[in-house]
Amino acid sequence: MASSSFSVSASPGVTERRGIPGAQFVEDVQTYLTQSGLDVNSALAFLQERLQQYKLVEMKLLAQQRDLQAKIPDIVKCLDVVATLQSKKGTGEGLITDFEVSEGIYSRARIEDTDSVCLWLGANVMFIHVAYHICRFEFLSVFMVQAATLLQKNLDNAKASLEVLVADLQFLRDQVTITQVTIARIYNWDVHQRRIRQVAAAKDT
Amino acid sequence: MQQGGGSETEVTWGDQQNINKFGRLNNRFHELEDEIKIAKETNDNLEDASNELILTDEEVIRFQIGEVFAHVPKEEVEGRIEQMKEVTGQNLEKLEAEKDSVLAQMTGLKKILYGKFKDSINLEED
Repeated sequence: MASSSFSVSASPGVTERRGIPGAQFVEDVQTYLTQSGLDVNSALAFLQERLQQYKLVEMKLLAQQRDLQAKIPDIVKCLDVVATLQSKKGTGEGLITDFEVSEGIYSRARIEDTDSVCLWLGANVMFIHVAYHICRFEFLSVFMVQAATLLQKNLDNAKASLEVLVADLQFLRDQVTITQVTIARIYNWDVHQRRIRQVAAAKDT
Repeated sequence: MQQGGGSETEVTWGDQQNINKFGRLNNRFHELEDEIKIAKETNDNLEDASNELILTDEEVIRFQIGEVFAHVPKEEVEGRIEQMKEVTGQNLEKLEAEKDSVLAQMTGLKKILYGKFKDSINLEED
């Protein structure tokens, strides 16, 4: 995977990316609490909830990423097969293959200088090409190329989607980090304030 | 990421960006470790396959293409395996180089962040 740039994600002004809300950076804790009108506990509760929401989105994105990462090798395998069939074209040789019928059980098949290639599009759907006998060689060659082109396009789309997804995840994790740091800072600020009050109270007595 | 209680060190947007960057690098580091492990395994498998080829006296090898095992002449298989080894080798080099770069950047950021926040921040793996 190409290393994406680790440049800045949300600047203090940016609000969101593709539906993921940006986390507000807090310059000064006191100011933030005053402006939002929240007390410490309410602020912490709000931020914790934000964190939970981010986690949910992260899980969804990770699942999508896993699906894409599984899909890509599958498409590459199909391209391999089509390429192999293409290289056999016109040689008159068939391709002999052993394929798995059931767990550990293989059967042998001879694929003749093939008339058609079928691309599995999904459950119960199959794209079937029927060979016409007019100008057979050209037409079939074109079809092989079409299969390869379609598969390549699917592969390119999958890779592009994956890149976008990875960028989404990076943005999301930045927002999580910002939120976690803000929580820690508010908590620390509160502890610090209590200490100051304690010291002041001790002086008065 | 732990923070010590009660300190009043201010956190600037620049600090936050450094922390974010460290987080991203750390994630990438773990991904790279996984990818390197897989690449090494693939390399080993290809090496084993090469050795088997040398030992075998069969002329036609059952070579996996996609989901099936195609009957391929030995020479062609040798060529394909060499090519696959080449690709995996280059990939492995690239991953190792990226890993070194990521580690170096993380070390740099640790210096900066520990420098400012001392033990108010913890950047180690638990």
